Amino acid sequence: MDTKNSRSEFGSKEQEVKLQDDSLIIHEEEIEKIDRALIKLIKGAEAKCALLVDKDGYLITRQGFTHSLDTTALAALLAGSFASTREIARLVGEPEFSVLFHQGKRDHIHISLVGERSILVAIFDDRTTIGMVRLYAKECGEELATILGQAHKSKKKSEPAIDSGFAASAEDRLNDIFRD
Amino acid sequence: MVSINYAFREICCKIVYYGPGLSGKTTNLIYIHKKAPPQTKGELISLATDADRTLYFDFLPIDIGPVQGFSTKFQLYTVPGQVYYNATRKLVLRGVDGLVFVVDSQAAKLEENIESMNNLIENLEEYGYVLEELPMIIQYNKRDLEEVSSLEELEKCLNPRGLPYFEAVAVKGTGVFDTLKAISKLVLEKARGKSEPEGKKELISVSAESKSSVMPSAEREELEKKPYAPARESVPEAPLGKDSFEEVERDLEQPEKTYRVEEKLEKAREREREKEEQAKETVRLQKEKEEELIKVRLKEQEEKARKEKEGAERKKLFLERLEREMAGVERQKKALELEKIKEAEELRKKEQAALIEKMKKMEEEKKTLIQSQSEIEKETVEAERVSKEAVPEGPVQTVKADETGLPFQSKIIISPMLRQKKTKPAKGGFLWRWIQKIAGPNLDPKNRR
Ligand SMILES: Nc1nc2c(ncn2[C@@H]2O[C@H](COP(=O)(O)OP(=O)(O)OP(=O)(O)O)[C@@H](O)[C@H]2O)c(=O)[nH]1
Ligand SMILES: [Mg+2]
Repeated sequence: MDTKNSRSEFGSKEQEVKLQDDSLIIHEEEIEKIDRALIKLIKGAEAKCALLVDKDGYLITRQGFTHSLDTTALAALLAGSFASTREIARLVGEPEFSVLFHQGKRDHIHISLVGERSILVAIFDDRTTIGMVRLYAKECGEELATILGQAHKSKKKSEPAIDSGFAASAEDRLNDIFRD
Repeated sequence: MVSINYAFREICCKIVYYGPGLSGKTTNLIYIHKKAPPQTKGELISLATDADRTLYFDFLPIDIGPVQGFSTKFQLYTVPGQVYYNATRKLVLRGVDGLVFVVDSQAAKLEENIESMNNLIENLEEYGYVLEELPMIIQYNKRDLEEVSSLEELEKCLNPRGLPYFEAVAVKGTGVFDTLKAISKLVLEKARGKSEPEGKKELISVSAESKSSVMPSAEREELEKKPYAPARESVPEAPLGKDSFEEVERDLEQPEKTYRVEEKLEKAREREREKEEQAKETVRLQKEKEEELIKVRLKEQEEKARKEKEGAERKKLFLERLEREMAGVERQKKALELEKIKEAEELRKKEQAALIEKMKKMEEEKKTLIQSQSEIEKETVEAERVSKEAVPEGPVQTVKADETGLPFQSKIIISPMLRQKKTKPAKGGFLWRWIQKIAGPNLDPKNRR
């Protein structure tokens, strides 16, 4: 585990306060930008795949070789793992472990904090090195923090909102699906 | 926090099953996982102890499919109910959109239920969430058991706000889906409220703010120039990476769509430009990477050279030291040997001296012994002479004895000899036997009175 403490490296505290009572809303342009950043990371570091996960366990987007992965479960578990690591940091008096590294026999996982509420995950094998992944993940993380920071500031009016009929439409579907 | 992903047209909500240990939270999820249609459910993940008690959380993703063009997903979590797992329990609560409080209806568990409810309120407060604003359903579980509290009592103790509730027997599935449907609905109603577009005022202030942002101004301008897309909802975007020009060509064949073509072309061009930029970026990155690698290699080489040099120097120094040390050792060895020889010699001398001394002593002893022997002989001769003179004729003269019991003559003979010898003659020796012969048994001190 990397204990390098870099809370202010990717995002500011002020941002978190602002976002806390807000839903996570992601727009297409942002996803495109995020995907580009992830591709850059994958190519640069020669990683197998990269995921951006919300701290609450939602998968925001993914790139690379992810077909064989249950990314939904992966996202939830990674977020849980990061949350518990964060709590461990707090208990030992460390502001945050901003980087987590799991070493496997073949595949390794590099997890780093992006901004205050997202987690960048890179899965790689021995074709590359942890050093390269660390280098590119840091760069990618900075880029993503900027993109996400922008995203939450500029809510586009043009997006179709979820209207009042949404819950009603969902209800029918729910009744349809969940029958004993 | 409801997550709305416009790129994937996805809405995601987090629902947490809360409640005391063994109340049946995990059982709820197991039933849902077992009975939900296959296309709607993902894998059920349980982070549990060996005894099937939840340790961190259970996780079950549910996808109810598109609702108004949005793929709608729920992520169901359970918390560990046991009191001492509060640290992980609290973590699971983070970002919750809706709560199901699973009550263990057994009368004996009432206290635990209340404690768990208070713990929930406490944990939410610590996150800064407002309990009243959070969609919540209460599930009175284990209604099949005998010793259960009445519904009225449970309501009174656990539901002062009059939240919607369901009675349930989670092991049989009774009430499980009803609970899930109810909380899902509440959460989606809440989500609608949350994602409604914000006012114009907000937008203006945002654009003012974004000027000072890190984004390069050219790119921002380009973004701002981007045409407003009114028909986005009805015409889904081309998925990422798909060749956009092809699509435009297809659209051109349909006259009623022409008004969108301009826009699409513009978009496609933009994408093309972006692709180029991306390619450039990749080349640049590649270069950077190469440079980085070269740097690393150079550094490595330098390091290696330095290390080699250092190594050589160290070796030299070591050899020198070794030599010095060897010389020192040699000298020391010689000195030691010399010393040893000297010592040995001295020892030998001493031994010789001691030997000489001993020999001298022995010589002296011999002399004294000879002397005393000759004296004894002399005295013996003298004594014989005296006795011959004293008893030439007549009967044997009795020698008068003194108090010691020794005859005078014996006394005269023996005493000078004894004084001279200092030590008594050894018993059994020649001298002794001789004295005994002369002095008789009275000589022995044991026989003295
Ligand atoms: N009789 C009866 N037993 C139930 C019911 N629901 C759950 N159980 C049983 O209660 C026990 C505990 O259920 P779990 O779902 O594991 O409890 P939990 O709330 O997840 O407990 P923790 O993980 O410790 O917080 C299991 O043996 C279930 O079979 C019910 O409605 N009736
Ligand atoms: Mg459980």
